[in-house]
Amino acid sequence: MDFKKFRKRSPWILHYNTGSCNGCDIEILACLAPKYDVERFGILNRGNPKQSDILLVTGPVTKRAKERLLRLYFEMPEPKVVVAVGACACSGGVFRHMYNVENGVDKVIPVDVYVPGCAARPEAIIDGIVRALEILKEKGKEVELPHWCSAQVKPPVNRVKLLDRCLEELHGRR
Amino acid sequence: MGKRITVPFGSQHVALPEPVRFVFQTENEKIVDVEVDVGYVHRGIEKACATKFKYMQVGYVVARVCGLCAISHTLGYVTALERLMGVEVPKRALYLRLLVSELDRIHSHLLAMGHTAEVAGYENLFMQTFRHRELVMEMLELLTGNRVQFDFACPGGVNRDLTPEVEKVLREKLKVLEEKALWLRDVYENDFSLALRWKGTGVVTEEMAKEMNVVGPPARAAGLKTDVRAEFDYLPFKEVGYRMVVLKGGSIYERNLVRALEVLNSIEMCWNILDGLPEGDIKVPVKGLPEGEMFVRIEAPRGELFYYIRGSKKLILDRVRIRVPTFANIPVMKELFVGMDYADVPATVISFDPCLSCTAR
Ligand code: SF4
Repeated sequence: MDFKKFRKRSPWILHYNTGSCNGCDIEILACLAPKYDVERFGILNRGNPKQSDILLVTGPVTKRAKERLLRLYFEMPEPKVVVAVGACACSGGVFRHMYNVENGVDKVIPVDVYVPGCAARPEAIIDGIVRALEILKEKGKEVELPHWCSAQVKPPVNRVKLLDRCLEELHGRR
Repeated sequence: MGKRITVPFGSQHVALPEPVRFVFQTENEKIVDVEVDVGYVHRGIEKACATKFKYMQVGYVVARVCGLCAISHTLGYVTALERLMGVEVPKRALYLRLLVSELDRIHSHLLAMGHTAEVAGYENLFMQTFRHRELVMEMLELLTGNRVQFDFACPGGVNRDLTPEVEKVLREKLKVLEEKALWLRDVYENDFSLALRWKGTGVVTEEMAKEMNVVGPPARAAGLKTDVRAEFDYLPFKEVGYRMVVLKGGSIYERNLVRALEVLNSIEMCWNILDGLPEGDIKVPVKGLPEGEMFVRIEAPRGELFYYIRGSKKLILDRVRIRVPTFANIPVMKELFVGMDYADVPATVISFDPCLSCTAR
């Protein structure tokens, strides 16, 4: 059966805080609560990477969070989309060039939608999620890798090995 | 005797909005040992404040330490700076700061209460609490121009004045909010199943609170009379009807009740501020360069916040030191967990309302 049609009707989100100030996190929470209510798009917040389709990332990615972020990304099944919420997730924001941050989510994993604002408004977050749904519909089952990773994906895909390879390169950088 | 089992809790967890990591050693259901790791979100803000940003900008940077109590951090910094440089802040600005800081406290407390309800499995109440919290967010947006990071206070005063139109809307909303807050207090106080779940769970006794230096609502719920608003004179709290809320008991139930009662007190203060807002300027220019050192204490929604700054006649400060409330509350959490059932852990953690982005900075 063609699941593609239904996929966008009930996406589940996973939210990870990689060193944000909580400002954007509470706005994401506000989105889930009555006034903005993203549940009308069938969206549920489940803290489980294996069941999620959309990864909402806030924060500029601290040095310690980057490995977790990569692991979470690999645990999510394809197709998946990544939404960077807030100025500091997009580019580092005020935290840009501080000694412990990576200047944005796209330095670690591929990002599909950027939501600007400090803090990002709930309306903007909803808009970002709706855009993400369109992208989700188009995406296929191929495994996605971060742009800096040189590993080749060829079937049969061994995710554990891929993750190891990526982690090695991640730590090897600089 | 069962074998020891290691249960990691965090850094990414369903019940946890923040990246903190606990590693529990459990024997059957009982916890025998616990390790806490709070460093996941360390960004290096203190260092950047002392190397990268000019002293007039630092207020906006430290606001990004924490989005929930953004005004407290800015307030801590600007108060320290003003005292260091001998700036006389206009009365109207002080009152406006007070208004925003109380509104901020209301929204932060409602968030914490809602979360505890959610972790107890009471999703409906969580949603209700969050619905009423939106009222506060709307008020803050009207008043300051942004929902979360207001950047309202600045060295020398505040950035935005309260216009009569906004004041009218604020009064209407505050009235609705007061009704809702009374209703919420009623639910958190009298709901039978919530009381059954929370009373007597995670008890912090008064001695424990004193010994381990607990701050904020958890301390006041344990019967310890500590509140920086009464102890350190940084805003005119006494003039607007501040009362300290102290309860006996110290379990999750009392912690939430303290928050609910403080919300009511804050609303009362907001009324008084709106009624007695003095006329005058909202900002005075700040000139010169900071020299010397200064500390202030601020009551953030979660407890005592400490700021220390040192400057030596340069545009960039020598040192900015921040000590946050959650950091003071972590030792007692650790102590509580030992001997507790694993099932009570999420509720206890959330009831302390930990703010990890504050703690790690
Ligand atoms: S974008 Fe601004 S409000 Fe959002 S997490 Fe970053 S610093 Fe906080």
